[in-house]
Amino acid sequence: MAGRGPMSFTGPGNYREEAAKTIRDKPEVRTSITAATRTFDAHRVHAWRQIDADRWRDWARDVKSHVLGHLDEYLEQAEEQLTANGAHVHWAETAEDALAILGDIVREHGVESAVKAKSMLSEELGVNAHLESLGVHVRETDLGEYIIQLLGQPPSHIVGPAIHLSVNDCQRLFHERLGTPLDAEPDELAGAARDALRAEFLAADLGISGGNFLAADTGTVALIENEGNIRLSTSLPRVHVACVGIEKLVPKLEDVSGFLQLTARAATGQPIGNFVSLIQGPRKNDEVDGPEEVHVVLVDNGRTKLLADDAAWEALRCVRCGACLNICPVYRQTGGHAYGWTYSGPIGAIIAPAMLGLEEAMPLPYASSLCGACTDVCPVRIPIPELLVHWREKAVEQGLTPMTETMGLKAYAKLAQKPDLFGAAGSVLRHVPLELGGRALPVLAGWMQERSAPKSSKKSFLQMWKEGIE
Amino acid sequence: MAMRVSLFATCLCDQFYAEACADAVLLLRHLGVDVDVPRGQTCCGQPAYNAGRPTEARDMAAHTMHVFEDAEYVVLPSGSCAGMIRCFYGEISGVDTERAESLARRTYELSQFLRQVLNVETLGPGLEGRRVAYHHGCHALRELGVKDEPLALLAGCGAEVVEWEADEECCGFGGLFSAKLPEVSAAMADRKLDTLPDVDFVTSSDGGCLLQLSGRAKKRRTGPPFVHLASALWRGVAR
Amino acid sequence: MSARDRILGRVREALSERTAVEHPGSFEGWRPAAPALPVDGLVHLLEAAGGEIVRQPNVDAAAAWLASFCADFGSSAVGETVPETLRPPLPAGAPDTAPLGVSLARGAVAETGSLIMDARDGRRAQLLVPTHVVFVRTRDVYATLREALTELADDLPSAIGFHSGPSKSADIGQILVKGVHGPGRLVAVLMGDGD
Repeated sequence: MAGRGPMSFTGPGNYREEAAKTIRDKPEVRTSITAATRTFDAHRVHAWRQIDADRWRDWARDVKSHVLGHLDEYLEQAEEQLTANGAHVHWAETAEDALAILGDIVREHGVESAVKAKSMLSEELGVNAHLESLGVHVRETDLGEYIIQLLGQPPSHIVGPAIHLSVNDCQRLFHERLGTPLDAEPDELAGAARDALRAEFLAADLGISGGNFLAADTGTVALIENEGNIRLSTSLPRVHVACVGIEKLVPKLEDVSGFLQLTARAATGQPIGNFVSLIQGPRKNDEVDGPEEVHVVLVDNGRTKLLADDAAWEALRCVRCGACLNICPVYRQTGGHAYGWTYSGPIGAIIAPAMLGLEEAMPLPYASSLCGACTDVCPVRIPIPELLVHWREKAVEQGLTPMTETMGLKAYAKLAQKPDLFGAAGSVLRHVPLELGGRALPVLAGWMQERSAPKSSKKSFLQMWKEGIE
Repeated sequence: MAMRVSLFATCLCDQFYAEACADAVLLLRHLGVDVDVPRGQTCCGQPAYNAGRPTEARDMAAHTMHVFEDAEYVVLPSGSCAGMIRCFYGEISGVDTERAESLARRTYELSQFLRQVLNVETLGPGLEGRRVAYHHGCHALRELGVKDEPLALLAGCGAEVVEWEADEECCGFGGLFSAKLPEVSAAMADRKLDTLPDVDFVTSSDGGCLLQLSGRAKKRRTGPPFVHLASALWRGVAR
Repeated sequence: MSARDRILGRVREALSERTAVEHPGSFEGWRPAAPALPVDGLVHLLEAAGGEIVRQPNVDAAAAWLASFCADFGSSAVGETVPETLRPPLPAGAPDTAPLGVSLARGAVAETGSLIMDARDGRRAQLLVPTHVVFVRTRDVYATLREALTELADDLPSAIGFHSGPSKSADIGQILVKGVHGPGRLVAVLMGDGD
């Protein structure tokens, strides 16, 4: 993975261990995440009640599916329009390519400092670490991202990067770094951040953002936020670079009207993000301010691989609202860090196998009880549990599952077709103490670690039935 | 002629909730239904399907479809297994889709059957004065759309089904998930147990969920009794 | 072959066997309840988001209101498109130091409670000031966001901002704070065409 640095991830392979450690050693994370995600979800529920949510979601799913089905045409149209608007369009196949493009821009303009709007894509690419290695001072300006940048941590949620932290954590941090009193209220903390960041906005040579949507007909990059730091980052510096995943295309600017509203309602329950930027290109001749140069970097980095998968392509409809994270009972126990990658929760689990490769993405497709809550809330109706099972099938095909599991399930399936043997095996299970069995079978060991042995019935039901039920 | 129902005990309930299956039989008979239990029944195939093994799932589904070929109604004391048959049998790669759809149409989870086919309102006064918490298993809730049915049946026995903040959240069983990722699974069970109000018992239509919650509760030496819905409702009939 | 060609090539290959979905048509913002009148809808949402609303029957009345409002401010940064009558009687200030910013919105959107800020008005004065006064004509209030975007599409500056309330964040322990980093106080002055 590109851009390894203090804020980057260590990969999903350690999910079980990281999750267990978080649950055991940092119970306050579980508490913070549970509270934050429940709040987000409650807001979403309220906001969806005000609209005909099913119809909005059907529409959004169909627009995104349509775009993805004609993605090459829309990409070309967007490039044409952006260029006509005076913006520079770049194409990056990999994270390394995207970073190289950024590096060229930095060198060309002698960039010394950059302000960053919150962008999950920039995390995925490892932008900050790379720019710092080129001697650029990079400052995250979203309050949550600013906080975790000071802590040297990666974001733990797509929308709220610092939801794993408590108010106390922030008070301690700001006291250390900005000199605020240890008992400062959030108001005062935010004020200190605003003052510190104000100077950085005004001095920065470069503003870096992502892109929530890219309208092909007008060449418009649309960005959603609540603070105003994205408007500032994309307006004040001389140069603005927007990194946009190729799946962010939307056919028309008028379509953006639906996505802005649906995404905001799904993410935080708002009718729309507090600030929305629609960016066409650099400042025009009749404008008094704005960047002199605007660059849009269209990024692949595994998205075409996802597109090529006949089932998982649907995951590219994702609008990064975080609703699936907010409802996921698995995500809620640990927050995002345990997943070891930029994208966590249900969406992370279904895109990682294509973008990182299935082997590196393991065990994420299994980090789910398949409860299905995510499909209830996804604004673009991605069939997440189906895709998790799809990736599990691929894992089986590619021999990535433990031998004991393969043998166990094959044997189980054979037994299930021989009812008398199946019943006999059940008898054995009932009469051998499970504490013993736990040592013999890894699957039972997993159970026994956290739970008491289930008490089997004295007789199986089928036995009771044979003997007669009165 | 009385209606005939074929009971599919399911692999899990056959072993761990046998008394609940017997209670389901008694309950159905009490409601004037003939119950048979087709020989040869084993497992619906969900563990294999969810583990990404469609071949094994297809074989188990074929076996199950054969066992219940002649059944008029197939009733299960399990939301997840009923969900597997109703919602996923037709999706299994290589399956005989016509037979799968035929079985799906005839398959019900117990409370779903009692309300939607038998139109049961009140069973009896047996749960009067009882404070009960209902755990909505994910498959019953989201795949079958069964939510009001068990609540109405419990209320119809005089039970007070109390509000529970986490009642629709996954208990953390998820079949193999509980064994592969036991720490997260246990944390999910803890979330349920820690938000549980003071009740006489917890009930649910799914044996897996009950094993998970009762197993975790026992390990933590906490929690009220966990009772399968079939047993709770049979208790509700009581004079 | 360039990166562009390779990416587009991979996209085409991925789509070669797939049947495409038709565009479902325009977004209609379907709702169970009938919407309020545009101005009422705008007022309701802006106030719910923490914005302040001032309603004036016409531009002259708005100008009079402004004169008394800015008594508490030492200077102001004024947008390029603000008409002469609506320029505050204050010394001109730079956007990054003036306590007050005054803008003319290109329009507003009732459905989302948003003011439409055009880059031609000047972005800095819209973003750096702690208190932001925005004039908008009631005849420029669109009922829906789609209508607004459809019309804006014909005449786009380098950037358009939709401002739907004072700057806010809940990143610190989920507690709402205002004014980081955009204006912490937003005052929308709706001006009618009447007498």
